[in-house]
Amino acid sequence: MDYAGRLSAHLPLATRLLVLKGDGSVLVHSDSLSYKPLNWMSPPATFAIEEVDEERASAGVIELWRVTHTKTADLLVISIHEILHDSSHELGVDPGLQKDGVEADLQRLLAEQIELLGDGFALVRREYMTAIGPVDILARDASGASVAVEIKRRGDIDGVEQLTRYLELMNRDPLLAPVTGVFAAQEIKPQARTLAEDRGIRCVVLDYDAMRGLESGHARLF
Amino acid sequence: MKFHVNRDVFSEAVSFAVKLLPQRTTQPILSGVLLEASGGALTLSSFDYEVSSRTEIAAEVDEDGTALVSGRLLAEIASRLPNAPVEFSTDEGRIVVSCGSAKFTLLSMPVEEYPTLPQVEDRTGVIPAEEFAAAVSQVAVAASRDDVTPVITGVQLEVGDNKLSLIATDRYRVAVREIDWDSGAASAEGTAALIPARTLSEVGKTFAGSGTVAVSIVRSDDRELIAFSADKRTVTSLLIKGNFPPVKRLFPDDVENYAVVNTADLIEATRRVSLVLEREAALRFSFSIDGVTLEAAGSEQAQASETIEAHLHGEDTVVSLKPSFLLDGLGAVHSEFVRMSFTKTDNPNKPGPVLITSQSSKDQPGADDYKYLLQPNLLLR
Repeated sequence: MDYAGRLSAHLPLATRLLVLKGDGSVLVHSDSLSYKPLNWMSPPATFAIEEVDEERASAGVIELWRVTHTKTADLLVISIHEILHDSSHELGVDPGLQKDGVEADLQRLLAEQIELLGDGFALVRREYMTAIGPVDILARDASGASVAVEIKRRGDIDGVEQLTRYLELMNRDPLLAPVTGVFAAQEIKPQARTLAEDRGIRCVVLDYDAMRGLESGHARLF
Repeated sequence: MKFHVNRDVFSEAVSFAVKLLPQRTTQPILSGVLLEASGGALTLSSFDYEVSSRTEIAAEVDEDGTALVSGRLLAEIASRLPNAPVEFSTDEGRIVVSCGSAKFTLLSMPVEEYPTLPQVEDRTGVIPAEEFAAAVSQVAVAASRDDVTPVITGVQLEVGDNKLSLIATDRYRVAVREIDWDSGAASAEGTAALIPARTLSEVGKTFAGSGTVAVSIVRSDDRELIAFSADKRTVTSLLIKGNFPPVKRLFPDDVENYAVVNTADLIEATRRVSLVLEREAALRFSFSIDGVTLEAAGSEQAQASETIEAHLHGEDTVVSLKPSFLLDGLGAVHSEFVRMSFTKTDNPNKPGPVLITSQSSKDQPGADDYKYLLQPNLLLR
């Protein structure tokens, strides 16, 4: 494998994993370096399989790939001596990385352990729909009054604002009002806590590990 | 309003009044300190609906009056004033502070909007100040700093028969100490109060040199609060709502298997050996007739061990403890030697807790009844 252009590189003959992606990129992987390729061509690039000349053929080359970057004219030439495995897969549309997995899990766990909010609390439903979006949890306290719960991994000012908007809307509903708010997070920023408490919203810090039944590193007395 | 005060007396009073002011408040008026001058005295107070501080000092009052000024700014000014009498006067909504050749003009906040401080009249009991300060510092180390469970972020005060117990826990350890308590004629036995550990620590330090401190615990329908007062100074705090876990029953009655170690030696050795430990890892303590051996498994790069003198009574024992938890207990016993007692247990998955108590010499138990109970980790090998 030879690379020419802004830098020159050569990878000697060895068993490699070649990945050709739908965006036109080509990556040369070895059995190490985790996700990092040994060499690669970023998109946009054009891919061509060339004729193998006699000299190369006598050296054992059965296929010759030429990958050219469309903008910089960088060139990656791959000489293939043996194909051990060749397969093509259609991956379809990428749903994207879900970073809020913990938040969804916290919502599920808190709905199951709603008594963490206080004695006598009862779950009405998760994802209670309002005109401006779903509230994470709608519950009732011991006296039967509605409580809207916003769950965050890290409790920030934004989350408090979001809950404030829901509360304002929900308090217009005569069937629900009065609705009080609970801002529940694994960690609540001091500024967010101050703002929440000033607006009469209760802050609850959630212990995710304890909620999902994971022991912490050290033994407890009780 | 116009008055003259002694600079040192004034500076001390302001720093007392602002000590418990909140770091951030959504109502700027609550960051103020209220000055009330009347009849030969100046009263300084602060209040944020949770905690209030109030003190009275002697002042030469020319004209009665009240004013509300930024507490932290006034405290900083007071601490840097030149050594001369301080004169205060109001001038069209401004407060003029002059001291020697220095002169400050401060904006006054509207006094009418300032909330009324809680007034506590009935005294529940009296405690010795120095003993109280020591007890608070010994017990508060075990209080939880995690907001997950608000009830254990406080120190529980429980009134017994002429004794006041202070209790704190964070589930990993429990610290308890009793001090003298004088309820006077009426009995207050059974009264309890749960106070934020941070507030109680400040109260302990503030009143340490006051002789005795009067305590009032008020439980009316809508408000539950505690007041501490001595030397014309009063601090009140709302109580934490909820039930404190019944942790006193975790303490073993009588433990025969124990070791006595020099406290300073054990602290030093623990700190040294812990150096190679990964964060949060535990240290292994092997007690035998030859002493106690501390071993840190550490990482692949480093391990450490050290053996120090220990007087073991009973059988050889091995425990695995988190160094910072042990150091908190060792730092709080306030005695030359420390007794580490090993509770027996039938549960193979949970070692018996280690009880740390003071010991004035190798054979003589300590003077106070401080107890620090620590849960060891399961031994891994």
